[in-house]
Amino acid sequence: MTPAISATGLTRKYYDQVVLDDVHLAIGARTITGLLGRNGAGKTTLLRILGGQEFPSSGSVQVLGAAPAENEDVLRRLVLIREDQAYPDYQGYPNFKVSHALRAASFCYPNWDPDLASSLLEDFGLRANKAIKSLSRGQRSALGITTGLAARAEVTLFDEPYAGLDAVARQIFYDRLLADYADFPRTVLLSTHLIDEAAALFENVVVIDRGRVVLDTAADGLRGMATTVSGPVLAVNSFTEGRPVWERRGLGSQASVVIVGQISPEDRERARSLGLDLTPLSLQQLVVRASGGPPGAGSLTERTSA
Amino acid sequence: MNAMIKVARYHLVMPVMVLGLPWATLAGVFAVNAAQGGDKAFRAGLVVIFGMFFVTGVQRIGRWLPFGLALGVSRRSFYAGTALLGVSMSLVSGLVIAGLQGIERATGGWGLSITFFRVPYLLNGPWYATWLTSFVGLSALFVYGMWYGIVNRRWGMFGLLAFIAVQVLVALAVSFAYSRSGGGALLLRPADGHPATLSALGLTGVIAALTVVCLAGGHATIRRVTV
Repeated sequence: MTPAISATGLTRKYYDQVVLDDVHLAIGARTITGLLGRNGAGKTTLLRILGGQEFPSSGSVQVLGAAPAENEDVLRRLVLIREDQAYPDYQGYPNFKVSHALRAASFCYPNWDPDLASSLLEDFGLRANKAIKSLSRGQRSALGITTGLAARAEVTLFDEPYAGLDAVARQIFYDRLLADYADFPRTVLLSTHLIDEAAALFENVVVIDRGRVVLDTAADGLRGMATTVSGPVLAVNSFTEGRPVWERRGLGSQASVVIVGQISPEDRERARSLGLDLTPLSLQQLVVRASGGPPGAGSLTERTSA
Repeated sequence: MNAMIKVARYHLVMPVMVLGLPWATLAGVFAVNAAQGGDKAFRAGLVVIFGMFFVTGVQRIGRWLPFGLALGVSRRSFYAGTALLGVSMSLVSGLVIAGLQGIERATGGWGLSITFFRVPYLLNGPWYATWLTSFVGLSALFVYGMWYGIVNRRWGMFGLLAFIAVQVLVALAVSFAYSRSGGGALLLRPADGHPATLSALGLTGVIAALTVVCLAGGHATIRRVTV
């Protein structure tokens, strides 16, 4: 199956700074993929290139089977919502309003759903006649989300779409994204730092670190990939013997060890009999590892390839 | 073509900014001229609308391009659609200027002996000549403004200064070459209020050619603009 989004040897340099370094990527059609990584990892640059707003230094990208840059057939089927989206604001009168932005978007997207847009504005408590320059950061995010979802574009790219949104509004976004995705499946690539909060959305996860893809896998395969085993030192040592270990910590007679690999039902039974607690690492913890982790921690890629 | 019209419609979501502001500004200048009374002296008030078309061209790129690209419009379509809007506005505005010039003539300068829509040499002929010259001049300034906006977006203030410097050098070189060829230092040196060598329609042709150069230059510059 041809992926909806792919990158081959994609590199982007600004003078001597390498922002994307030989990125290879393939994202299947009609999936929700999390694009994760630290600040400055290259996520926004990747999304801008996919959205045709930036150009690669070398390598290539394809969206819906063709290069997106200056390709009208691709671009009209793609929407990119950026955290730092600029609107045509003016000082003083007249004001570029929420309604202006949505009307402009309605011209550009053949599948634009005005009812969905109105419903989302209501959910977010955003008035259509409000000037964009007077919106709070969260309200600007709400406008971006409304535009991105109501466009119903075949490829929807969200770059940190909910910066400044409160927890309730973020939950509205997750719920509405899933509901609309179920009705109109599309390829969604969502960059976020709120990893555990959004984890349930993702079918796939791509982690970028310092411009390189360090993890590209199905989210289901990632869940349960590593587990923290904690309890008495002797029992922990017995249980973890012969298994790949990421991290080992001890405090008196207690120990806590992170092991790599799936835990079988037999393993669980044995842990129970030894009085051990088994806690799977969250997606966020795995991403921290993949991104180099805290000082002293081994990298996910190194360990998993070992 | 659909994409160009889509872009033109995008610009028109706030019609007052693109259509109303140049004329509202001109109306203000006209009111000041009328209040000062009519001594039949040309006060160059009409130049304001040409200046506003330049500013509008700059703003259509500087302020409207980033959101336009976010909405899945290519740079090429954005450029063509914006230029289409500017040329259409110029066509209509040129006609309005020709109409207002006719009224000014018929009413003896709006009953106040004002010379506002008649510009000696340039816009002082039959209505169709005024229409053509206004249309070409307004289009030229709009497209020229777009090019400035694109240069600023692509290379920032440094690029803008370099762009201006190059134009000054080109103008000096052309002037020097013309002078050396025996044509005189200035193309439009007045002699009894008239240019020495070029008719108003001839000048319109020169401006039209420069507009084509600006269109090609802007198109070449926008191709690698990023937002």
